[in-house]
Amino acid sequence: MTALLPYLPILIILSSLLPGLIIFSLKETQIKLRTWLNMLGVTVKLIFVWLMWRAVKAGQEVTFSLPFLPGADLVLHGDALSLLFVILSSILWLATTIYAIGYLEGSPLRSRFFGYFSLCVSATVGLALSGNLVTFLLFYELLTLATFPLVVHRGTAQSLAAAKRYLGYTLGGGVLLMFGVALLHMLTQSPDFTPGGYLLPLVASDRALLQLAFVLLIAGLGVKAALLPLHGWLPQAMVAPAPVSALLHAVAVVKAGAFGIIRVVYDVFGVQSIQQLNVATPLMLLAALTILYGSWRALAQQDIKKRLAYSTISQVSYVTLGVAMLGPLAAVGALVHLVHQGVMKITLFFCAGNYAETLGIHDIRELNGVGKRMPLTSLAFTVGALGMIGIPPTAGFISKWYLGLGAAEVDQGWLIGVFVLSGLLNAAYFLPVVYRIWFTQQRLPWPHPQQLSKKLETHWMLLSPPLFTMLLVLLMGLFASTDISPLSWSELIVEREFSYD
Amino acid sequence: MLSLYVYFTLATLLIGFGAYGVWRGPELLRRILALNIMGAGIFLLMVTLAYRPVLQGEPADSVLHALVLTGLVVAVSATAFALALLGRILQKGKA
Amino acid sequence: MSLALGLVIIPLLAALLMLLWPRLARGLQLAAALLCTILATMLLQLVQQEGSQQLFIGGWNPLLAIRWQADSVTALLLLLSAVLHLLVSGYALAVQQRDKLAAAFWPLSSLLLASLQALWLSRDLFNLYVCLELLGMVAVALVTLSGDKAMRPALHYLLFSLFASLCYLLGVALLYGAYGALDLPLLQGQLQANSLTAAALVLITLGLMLKAAWWPLHLWLPAAHAAAPAPVSALLSALVVKGPLFILVLVWTTLAPAAFLNVAAYAFLVCALGALLLAGVAALRTPYSKTLVAYSTVAQLGYAMLALALMLSFNLPVFTAALWLFVMAHALAKAACFLSIGEMQQTLGVKKVAQLKGASQTMPLAMFAFAVAGGSLIGLPPSGGFLAKWVMLLGLWQAQQYFLLLVLLVATLVSAAYIFRVVVLAFDRAEPTAPDFSPQLLPQWLALLPALAVWAMAFFSMPLLAILQQELS
Repeated sequence: MTALLPYLPILIILSSLLPGLIIFSLKETQIKLRTWLNMLGVTVKLIFVWLMWRAVKAGQEVTFSLPFLPGADLVLHGDALSLLFVILSSILWLATTIYAIGYLEGSPLRSRFFGYFSLCVSATVGLALSGNLVTFLLFYELLTLATFPLVVHRGTAQSLAAAKRYLGYTLGGGVLLMFGVALLHMLTQSPDFTPGGYLLPLVASDRALLQLAFVLLIAGLGVKAALLPLHGWLPQAMVAPAPVSALLHAVAVVKAGAFGIIRVVYDVFGVQSIQQLNVATPLMLLAALTILYGSWRALAQQDIKKRLAYSTISQVSYVTLGVAMLGPLAAVGALVHLVHQGVMKITLFFCAGNYAETLGIHDIRELNGVGKRMPLTSLAFTVGALGMIGIPPTAGFISKWYLGLGAAEVDQGWLIGVFVLSGLLNAAYFLPVVYRIWFTQQRLPWPHPQQLSKKLETHWMLLSPPLFTMLLVLLMGLFASTDISPLSWSELIVEREFSYD
Repeated sequence: MLSLYVYFTLATLLIGFGAYGVWRGPELLRRILALNIMGAGIFLLMVTLAYRPVLQGEPADSVLHALVLTGLVVAVSATAFALALLGRILQKGKA
Repeated sequence: MSLALGLVIIPLLAALLMLLWPRLARGLQLAAALLCTILATMLLQLVQQEGSQQLFIGGWNPLLAIRWQADSVTALLLLLSAVLHLLVSGYALAVQQRDKLAAAFWPLSSLLLASLQALWLSRDLFNLYVCLELLGMVAVALVTLSGDKAMRPALHYLLFSLFASLCYLLGVALLYGAYGALDLPLLQGQLQANSLTAAALVLITLGLMLKAAWWPLHLWLPAAHAAAPAPVSALLSALVVKGPLFILVLVWTTLAPAAFLNVAAYAFLVCALGALLLAGVAALRTPYSKTLVAYSTVAQLGYAMLALALMLSFNLPVFTAALWLFVMAHALAKAACFLSIGEMQQTLGVKKVAQLKGASQTMPLAMFAFAVAGGSLIGLPPSGGFLAKWVMLLGLWQAQQYFLLLVLLVATLVSAAYIFRVVVLAFDRAEPTAPDFSPQLLPQWLALLPALAVWAMAFFSMPLLAILQQELS
């Protein structure tokens, strides 16, 4: 068992990469083999992740490295923080794979889709496990390349335009990130991520360059994290198939950006350097502005997926904001929101996909009375929406609670005002939808109904993933105090790795 | 000594004419001929350079002679190739 | 050093034998390419162990003899050209019947390899001229293999090439007249900063810039490279334009007097900026797919010029490394680009970029090869193009050249734009262009090979940089 330990990070990546590569070569008709390969990859990955979780929990650290650039090896490193993201993406990958198999049943070019789907998850996991900036950069760019074919998958004029825009933003961000990483590499090589950062000795001598590097890195990561004004790609990328939007929003892309910001702030610069460089406040303001802007724009959207997209812009910035506050409680809030928002948002996207696939509903006004026709999906949607608003006992309440506590702890009381305002806006754009679903009568016939199942309201592969994630949302909220909850894991990370006294 | 300058001037003039012809064109044949004139100018320059030691009573520089010979071979074959290509183009134009 | 001699003589001999026995041409081609690859590998090992090797042809003394030298950069370039030649030969073999590739391709491409290998080895100004001229003529002959439509671009290419060689020759004659030597190591440090030297260097540089298609003297390249058959375009873009570049670097780093370096650096810098930005924009706008790739060559050469300019103005070894890394990464990536685009053009029977619509459904492998190679041209990690750009970035940050960093940023985005212009179209599902015949797998895989090789390059960055740095110490 211990002999396997150093190879765990690479095995976790390979467990989705290899099936992905094999899937590319399969014929369209080999559905069984493809499904089997997908499920095998997921299962194997979960086993490896579990092994790693046990090791890290016991205080071991897992490192795998390959020679790459001079002064910057290709380092894969399993610590508590990377594991948080790895577990999130592996579990959500499981749900999304099942969902995607059901969603795409009978549509063309599925081998290509599932091939890139696996690559995308491999890149996300690699990004989570990256042990230094250069490795992070590598997976960050690979993620862009792997997600692009998914965004463009439908091949319509609309999705081509969205994909171009997506590429423009993300490649631009990638280049900025590369420049920033190169600047830091020139100053001090690229050592492994270190709790407390490794740049403190340089703050006195290279102040301006470090500030520039911070701006470049945050701008590069901010594109994926959809920070204002770099968010333009996200609402348009909605044309992708539902499982793709679900994965992009919940884990793969936006979270890659947010996770990168956490790494940069805590493990590259470190709280002390950030304070001395005076760069946290602008980031905080920007994040706060994005939160309000996203919620405000979401109000005006009538397309379900678009409304969810603007909501994502707003919600991801909670993570950024929590990081920028530079306090331990806020950090716990940021980390736990990374997980909670992911699970809640993926639930909402699964449901939106179900409505579209089963009844052809895309517009919010068409949702009237859908609660009677699809009660289970609507239940999941409602739980997800309540979570987003932050109503107890859902998971969303926990993360917002900690973020609020964090704001009070660092004496930024006005941020609580931001949270309250944004919470009200969240309620304003989610509650009317919930109201329509349950408490209004169906007026028009469904736009494009399909009989996907004899007994259930829709295909079981479409129904089970949102129910599973809905359950997670509730469990994460109800059992937040147990020691396997994301909350206690986040506390462990902050305690162990963020070096607050 | 004087003759040396005459040759140098002649070589410069040839190179200048040749370069002008190549630049001006526009006919392809004219450009090919101009290239040859330019080449002749350069070879003349090299031969004149080779002649310099003779004024001091030493034998002429044989390295340059060898270079000019090589250069001539290259120039002749290149011209032949260019003319062949031109022939193909003109033939196609007629057909 | 007999290894080096073998590297030139084997392809030369093979070319002659092919002319005598055309039936054996294919076998001979592959055998020669394989042998050259092995020899080049051995030479690289030898140079790494024992340092650079010298040979005076015919055993004359250095004043008369032609000097050949195999240092680490030369050894790398020899290996690169042998490997690419092998790959392209394989591709040509796979498609020769379908594409009706003329029989003359085999001897001509062998001859191309011979003249290129001689060029890498040569350290004598006049011998370099002969190699250059031979290279140019063989290249033009290869372009004409496309048939009648290629005659005009080929003749233009030839005229430009001849004019450029004459400029170079005139410069060399002036230098010989003033300093009485042609051997580069003998001339090193001898040149004085006077107007005669300046004139000679300007002529040499102009000639070489024309041959290397440096912006703004690149006008002949897109037409010629786009007109040639796919395997030929791959060889031309990947290798042939690098020959004059190599000489240019030799001249400016060993011969030129220090007083001229700054001016030259500025001139190269302006050309580099023009190439990176304007040629990139041209690639964005051209309607034809092969012309797009050809313009991308002009743009990518801008990185090499930039590295050269920086080499001359800052005494930082990283820029030398960046230059040769760019050359290698570009050679591999561009070969893959031309082969994959050529493959798609043949199979789909189209020429325009817009007609590649839906190619990721009809020819996924070729499109993938193009995208992967494109990733290296953009500089995405972990490709060879990324490695080169990374090394250059480190140098630029170190030298605090913020304006150039900005230029590099814009240039990277422009290259991304023209690569993805094709890739995005390939995902269009509405009415994809139907193939004329069912796509063949082998040539597509052969197009993918150099693309994969360039992505593997980054993982060999340590040995590569070690080899390149051996040169500097």
